Amino acid sequence: MILGFDIISLSLILLCAVLALFIRDLMGSVIVFGAYSFLMCVVWACNGAIDVAFTEATVGAGVGTVFLVSTIYSTTRIDTFKKNRLLKQLFMFAVVCVVGVLLLKTVTDLPQWGDAGSPANTHLSAYYIENSIDQTHVPNVVTSVLADYRGFDTMFETCVVFVAFIGIFSLLRIRKSKTKNAATTSPTTELTLPPHQEVDSLIIKTASHLMVPFMQLFALYVVAHGHYSPGGGFQGGVILGASLILLAVSYNFKKALSILSEKKIILLVSLGVLIYAGIGVICFFLGGNFLDYSVLHKILPATDTIMARSHAMLGVEIGVALTVMVSMYGIYLSLSSNGRFDKGL
Amino acid sequence: MIEQAPALIVVIPLISALFITIIGLYQPRVSWLLTIITFALSSIFAFICLKQVVTVGPISYVFGNWPAPFGIEYAIDHLNALIVLMICVVAFLVAIYSKHDIIKELGDKIPHFYSLFTLLVTGLLGITLTGDAFNLYVLLEISALTSYALLALSGGRAYIATFNYLIMGTIGACFYLLGVGYLLINTGSLNMADISVILSSNTYSYTVLVAFLFIMIGMWTKMALFPLHSWLPNAYTYAPTSTSCLLAPLMTKVSVYVMLRMMTSVFNYDYIFNVLQWQHIIVALAVIAILAGSVLALRQDNLKRMLTYLIVAEIGYMVGGAWLGNANGFTGASYHIIADGFMTLCLFLAIGCIIYKVGDASLSSMKGIFTKMPITMVGFLIGAFSMIGIPPTCGFFSKWYLISGAYEASAWAFLVALLISSLVNAVLFFRIIEVGYFQALPSEEPNHHHPKITRDEAPLTMLIPLLTTAGLLIGIGLYTADIVTYLIHPFIKNFL
Amino acid sequence: MEFIINYYNYIIVVIIMMLGLWGMLALSNLVKKLISMAIFQTGIILFYISMGAKKGASIPIIKQAYDEHHHPIHQTINNMDYANPLTQILMLTAIVVGVATLGLGLALTQRVYSEHKSLHEDEILETLS
Repeated sequence: MILGFDIISLSLILLCAVLALFIRDLMGSVIVFGAYSFLMCVVWACNGAIDVAFTEATVGAGVGTVFLVSTIYSTTRIDTFKKNRLLKQLFMFAVVCVVGVLLLKTVTDLPQWGDAGSPANTHLSAYYIENSIDQTHVPNVVTSVLADYRGFDTMFETCVVFVAFIGIFSLLRIRKSKTKNAATTSPTTELTLPPHQEVDSLIIKTASHLMVPFMQLFALYVVAHGHYSPGGGFQGGVILGASLILLAVSYNFKKALSILSEKKIILLVSLGVLIYAGIGVICFFLGGNFLDYSVLHKILPATDTIMARSHAMLGVEIGVALTVMVSMYGIYLSLSSNGRFDKGL
Repeated sequence: MIEQAPALIVVIPLISALFITIIGLYQPRVSWLLTIITFALSSIFAFICLKQVVTVGPISYVFGNWPAPFGIEYAIDHLNALIVLMICVVAFLVAIYSKHDIIKELGDKIPHFYSLFTLLVTGLLGITLTGDAFNLYVLLEISALTSYALLALSGGRAYIATFNYLIMGTIGACFYLLGVGYLLINTGSLNMADISVILSSNTYSYTVLVAFLFIMIGMWTKMALFPLHSWLPNAYTYAPTSTSCLLAPLMTKVSVYVMLRMMTSVFNYDYIFNVLQWQHIIVALAVIAILAGSVLALRQDNLKRMLTYLIVAEIGYMVGGAWLGNANGFTGASYHIIADGFMTLCLFLAIGCIIYKVGDASLSSMKGIFTKMPITMVGFLIGAFSMIGIPPTCGFFSKWYLISGAYEASAWAFLVALLISSLVNAVLFFRIIEVGYFQALPSEEPNHHHPKITRDEAPLTMLIPLLTTAGLLIGIGLYTADIVTYLIHPFIKNFL
Repeated sequence: MEFIINYYNYIIVVIIMMLGLWGMLALSNLVKKLISMAIFQTGIILFYISMGAKKGASIPIIKQAYDEHHHPIHQTINNMDYANPLTQILMLTAIVVGVATLGLGLALTQRVYSEHKSLHEDEILETLS
């Protein structure tokens, strides 16, 4: 909570945001946006939100930027400027100013930054902080609230990832037979694609080969140790996904698909959510409410109702990690190959 | 199992969506059957919940067995039990209907379509049931993301239309999230009932006003209230038929319900109508929405597009009715969610049958449609009569409540707008009847310039849902008194 | 000055959100629209995180003492010592939702590009008419 640091990085963030919107070259814009995200992580970490910063670093700044870059590769990086839009931009500026003034007027009504006695910091959150250890044996309150108190939210959050993957996959996927037909009827489609070069650099291959095991080991640690330290299923899953993406970038698509084929990707993505929902359903059959992990002590050996919650959270996090890992990888493959699943970046 | 029914309504479609994806890899055709079974089951559990609410009173279901403000709660009262049943039934009917249409329009993407379809409905069911403001946001995003994917599946112009919807939808959801943030900073809670208690014990500050305003603007964007409607017509027109059949009756109506829910269970009557006193402005907005929707609908040649503008007008009905601030207006708005859901479904299903057989839905291709597809047109006519407001269809009764509400509140502009809109609807649908019925006659003249029109109906899986919906329109109309006294009045009683 | 320091986070939040919202509505390039969307969402996330910050508090991981048998020793936990976990969980969800929307938006962008050969909104509208 270093206030001066907070102020400086926030000012930098503002600069990055403006730059990201006004740079003509899309690639530049995306890179500045990546810097924006990283600075944002720093601010969040300064504000005590270490888990959020971790997630933003992996999801927002990491994988999000990769998605943006792969889209720019398969489309264009030039942003043309047209004067006739100025009027619309001015009108929108007026609209946005109205919203901004409305919001700025509330600022004085809000509790001061860092006020520990504000309603948002006392009512629910105090309950979680004070009872997490007693009720779940999990010191990382973020994990216990995420996977247990508000576990139902998190199940749907995993579902969002699943939906995004299925959506992107079904939007972009072009069957081989269809592309052949399209190519014969309109040969221009192939020409507009950016020229892909097979990466064949020994240094990149070796370096990524060396890095991937360590990345994956760290990711597994993040998943498994989420109860005691920052991290959990989402962060670990994204790092695992990133390690696969790294392999796919440094080798070619054939190698990428040999790790996980298309069918396996779909299967595993569904399986992850299924693990989560399945744990909830088991609770049904043991006589509890949905996601009431405490009844799991009936089937888990040597646990009481509280430890059962702790163990079930780990199971849930594994499901989350599985879905997130595979779907990030699948989304990357879809976006970078424009749905053809033959060649990527 | 009965006490688990509220969770099962949502969990069954969620899990079956996963199974549809997995089994779809090996047996694409099975996904249709699985979807139907899913929604049949969900409908049964929704009916159980409705029955229990009527006999016992509102149900509260807590997930993870954490007490209400700390865990996530499903709060089921009379109105949302009814709406959940409607969503399940609509999803069930559309699932049956989609069989042939999807094979024709999407080909090899069948399992993905059904898994997204099921998840979309899961999201909508969750939105309706949940008693937690943030859980609502997550489910809002699930239904939004699935609907983007489903709308864009047909390709072509749908992509850019869906992209615009994605931008507008995200703005709507983010505004909602911002509103919830302001509520959280004020109360420290996320449970709707809990927020309501804390809010009413404090004085209402400017922050609460901003929270309310942002939640409302977010929902108005999602439901396409007039100046914010621009995404809807294109997105729904270019979508695959089955998608628009599912989305048109449900998406906007559920957003309307969220608006009602926020007005009733988070804020209260006194704050909205006595402290804020926005009702005149918002009823005026609703009037503009109704008139603009009607006028724009008149200008359309494509029937599907025309219907999308009618949805914009109907949103005006519900928003206006809810903001009249009296029992009749509120009853009208709540009842119209159900009525409009089914009549939009009926019309979209009928148009879908026509598109399936004729190929497009422009007015000129309607010539001789009554001779060609008489059964489809019977369904279409019942839907159209309901839209116009001819008894005994349910459209008449919702309009009746809205008009008496407008009369009570002396909102004359709203009353006139309702009447004008009915008139416009009448003109619109009689124009179709004229083209479809009378302009077919030349082909039967002796000179035989046109080939004789033979009967050529859509397959049975498309006709049965259509006729069921048409039957439901009349059935709901006949049971209006029961629905209003046993389901809507107990809901309103707590609010007014 | 006191005012600005106390409310600096919130002021920046408003400006970031204005920027993002303006970009979504006014910019013509589809990828830029999506970047603006992400900026708008991070603005909201910063708002939640700022409201959950506490001066002098640690991250929300409870420091637990154990006895020699690895059983947790009961201790009183003071709410003031740990940052707000609730807002953090909500924002974890928001981040994931944000990246999912971004991915889907990018997939749509690619499809729009292959359909209309442009990412510029006005040029796309020209090809439609």
